[in-house]
Amino acid sequence: MVSLYFLIPLAATFYWSLRGAKDVLGFEAYRKLFADTNFLPAFSQSIVNAVATIFLSLIIVVPTAYWVTLRLPKLRPVVEFITLLPFVIPAVVLVFGIIRLYSSPPFLFTATYNSSRIVLICVYVCLSFPYMFRSVDNGLRAIDVRTLTEAAQSLGANWVTILFRVIFPNLRVALLSGALLTFAIVIGELTIALYMAQHTLGPYMSDLTRSKVYEPSAMAIVAFAITWAAMGIIDFVGRGATRHVQMVEAD
Amino acid sequence: MKTNSANSQSVNSTVGGALRPPRTPIRHWLGLLPFFVFSGLFLIGPTLILAYRSFEGLDGGLTLNNYRQLASDTVMNSYGMSIKISLTTAILGGLIGFLVAWVVSMGGLPPRFRLITTTFSGVAANFAGVPLASAFVFTLGRVGLITALFKVFGVNLYKSGFSLYSFLGLTLVYLYFQIPLMVLTILPALDGLKREWREAAENLGATQIQYWRYVALPVLTPSILGTMILLFGNSFGAHATAYALTGGLFDLATLLIGRQISGDVLHNPGLGYAVAMGMVMIMASSIFIYSILQRRSERWLK
Amino acid sequence: MSYLSISHVTKQFGDTVVVDDFNLEIEKGEFVSFLGPSGCGKTTTLRMVAGFEIPTSGKILLDGADITDKAPNQRNVGMIFQSYALFPNMTVAQNIGFGLRVRKESKEMISQRVDEMISLINLEKHATKYPYQLSGGQQQRVSLARALAIHPQVLLLDEPLSALDAKIRVSLRAEIRAIQKKLGITAIFVTHDQEEALSISDRIVVMNSGLMEQVGTPFEIYNFPTTVFSANFVGSLNNASAEVVDPALSLISIDGVQFESAVDLKERKKGDKVRVAIRPERLSFAAEQEKANVVDATIENITFLGSVVRIRVKIGDTNFNMDTFNNPFLELPKIGDKSQVTCSKEAVLVLDD
Repeated sequence: MVSLYFLIPLAATFYWSLRGAKDVLGFEAYRKLFADTNFLPAFSQSIVNAVATIFLSLIIVVPTAYWVTLRLPKLRPVVEFITLLPFVIPAVVLVFGIIRLYSSPPFLFTATYNSSRIVLICVYVCLSFPYMFRSVDNGLRAIDVRTLTEAAQSLGANWVTILFRVIFPNLRVALLSGALLTFAIVIGELTIALYMAQHTLGPYMSDLTRSKVYEPSAMAIVAFAITWAAMGIIDFVGRGATRHVQMVEAD
Repeated sequence: MKTNSANSQSVNSTVGGALRPPRTPIRHWLGLLPFFVFSGLFLIGPTLILAYRSFEGLDGGLTLNNYRQLASDTVMNSYGMSIKISLTTAILGGLIGFLVAWVVSMGGLPPRFRLITTTFSGVAANFAGVPLASAFVFTLGRVGLITALFKVFGVNLYKSGFSLYSFLGLTLVYLYFQIPLMVLTILPALDGLKREWREAAENLGATQIQYWRYVALPVLTPSILGTMILLFGNSFGAHATAYALTGGLFDLATLLIGRQISGDVLHNPGLGYAVAMGMVMIMASSIFIYSILQRRSERWLK
Repeated sequence: MSYLSISHVTKQFGDTVVVDDFNLEIEKGEFVSFLGPSGCGKTTTLRMVAGFEIPTSGKILLDGADITDKAPNQRNVGMIFQSYALFPNMTVAQNIGFGLRVRKESKEMISQRVDEMISLINLEKHATKYPYQLSGGQQQRVSLARALAIHPQVLLLDEPLSALDAKIRVSLRAEIRAIQKKLGITAIFVTHDQEEALSISDRIVVMNSGLMEQVGTPFEIYNFPTTVFSANFVGSLNNASAEVVDPALSLISIDGVQFESAVDLKERKKGDKVRVAIRPERLSFAAEQEKANVVDATIENITFLGSVVRIRVKIGDTNFNMDTFNNPFLELPKIGDKSQVTCSKEAVLVLDD
């Protein structure tokens, strides 16, 4: 009974916002949204950014987690500290620093739109570290990576083979979980993209709220649906294998 | 011949008690290099530059003046409002979140409820930003649905002083992701309350209330406090939601920094950096205190 | 009138009957063990006495009072859990004093009683320590003191030693028994370890799948098991199927080899199939003068177990284990030797199949 009391306000908010979305024009809003010339480019930019981020992040985090666990356990506290940094340095402060650091020689990286974009992706990669690392770390722990490695070594494999043939495949669930979290974060990210003048989904949505009336609601629902789908997939896949602790951030 | 097993030097690793020929340390460090390069370039570097510049005076020399100016009105208003909202959402979010988590884990509800709550919380906590802001505009904005609903009953929300774009409004919006965060973080702690503790307490003659007062709440307190502090930090550093809601014009520390990025609104770049560093310090201490409390509670719940 | 009376208690969860018609009368100061494998219902029965489960039917009476439906915090029974269940946020002293604190006793009274309990369990030096700073054995002793502090009428122990190391298990069970005897408190001890039950109980209840298999003293249960399950669960024994040859003379035959039993078989008919059990230590090599139950046997295997030497012999078509004390000066037969083996007729147990 008590639960209903608490669930209802949350559910009601959600419900009303849904109603607010459908409003007068019904699905017309959705159609207009997808027809907007600015929507698709922004959407695709975000998707590409997200994929690039995930890819880079995997390449960096997995070996890192692997090496820290097996060869350099002393560095673990340092690594874990660094993965905590995105929580300590809020996005707005980070982008502040990024701009000041890379807007003038000798580190002029923000001269062109595309070079800024690369910087953006690199920042996103760093933002994904907490989630990726935690996912991968949990996954490594669950598969007892030390024993697996020693078994592979005794059979004659070198470290490249071990990484790609043994470790990666066994971490599929952890990797998927980390990737989906990263995806959700990058897709909706606003603060950093905004101040770096990038035309991704975040700033686009923000502009939308200022200019149009009904499309933003459709946009909100789409965003919500995507996030829900991502979380759902993580839950679904994660249920069979290892449990992942999800720490979530506001922005 | 002495064989050493546990290694404290990162170079030699031993397998089965025998000493392996030392691997080239360089190879190991190489594995970690990309990680450090990236974080150095894109996490630590920017922060350091801000820190350094925050000590820069208007004339170019090093000074603490910027930090002294943090006490000025403009800055203090923004910081104050940020602290106000963060405290409120931390405490309210903490309490409500705790109650929800408690009901869902021990309220005797079917397990389906728990799954729904956790999934929804995961989504809601990530929902922050533009979508959340617009959702609330549709609900409680000037032409929002609930506002309209109130009008039907003859109550004009906005005339009586309410505004979504105020302390109260922001608090309401922020709670939407603070409560789920609390729920998700505190659920494991609630799960850690062993059933036998309650039974032992009952067996010794305690009522439910006494059990909670003497055992359960004391055991949970570090977790609850820690998570509330986490919530505080979370709210303090939040930018996107507030920006989307108010267009960046509200008196909030993060929005202030945002305005500073777009243009020197403080008429003193050094001060801008100091404001940013101030925020970092607040966030750092909140995470620090949180992890200490976490460790404490883990020790008990093991 | 017995002190604790459990009569016709049954517990059902949905369609599953977990405890089926449990009946037991326990005297004051008695130490009774519930012995059985996992899932036999022993813990559930204990929890019904504690009040954490309510019987589906039946009554539980404590010192004349009906406590069947009473809430657990109103029963004045003390419970010890397998996982110790010490309150992690309280010191040893605070844990022990918890029951008294809840009863709103005076500070002096609590402090005095706590001191008493702490010296009873010999942990004076650890009074201000927290549970996580103590070993498993120490935690369990604190748990014991905590339960005893409130002067319970019955002490309930739910597999208290299962989580501990073997050596601690042995010393702690003796300590528990000593304290119980000293205080004269009635106790119910749940375990799946038959050695534990045999060594410290006044009486044992052997349980299986919710049913009581047998009730008796350790001596009775071990030497005169009445059911196949009891015989198998407590101690090791040789198990064989046999046929009744002569009911009047209590003769049975295992694969054609005849044995005389001390069990009364007059109720049975010739040709009935029965289960026969013989404890390994009751078999021995036949000396010249032996008359009763002397049979031919072939040595199959010899295993040295330390204090006991286990010899596997083949009698008829069946293999039997024969245990004899290790004697360095005794010459043992070799594998393949033929010999004669005997056992008294009391050793031949005939059980229902």
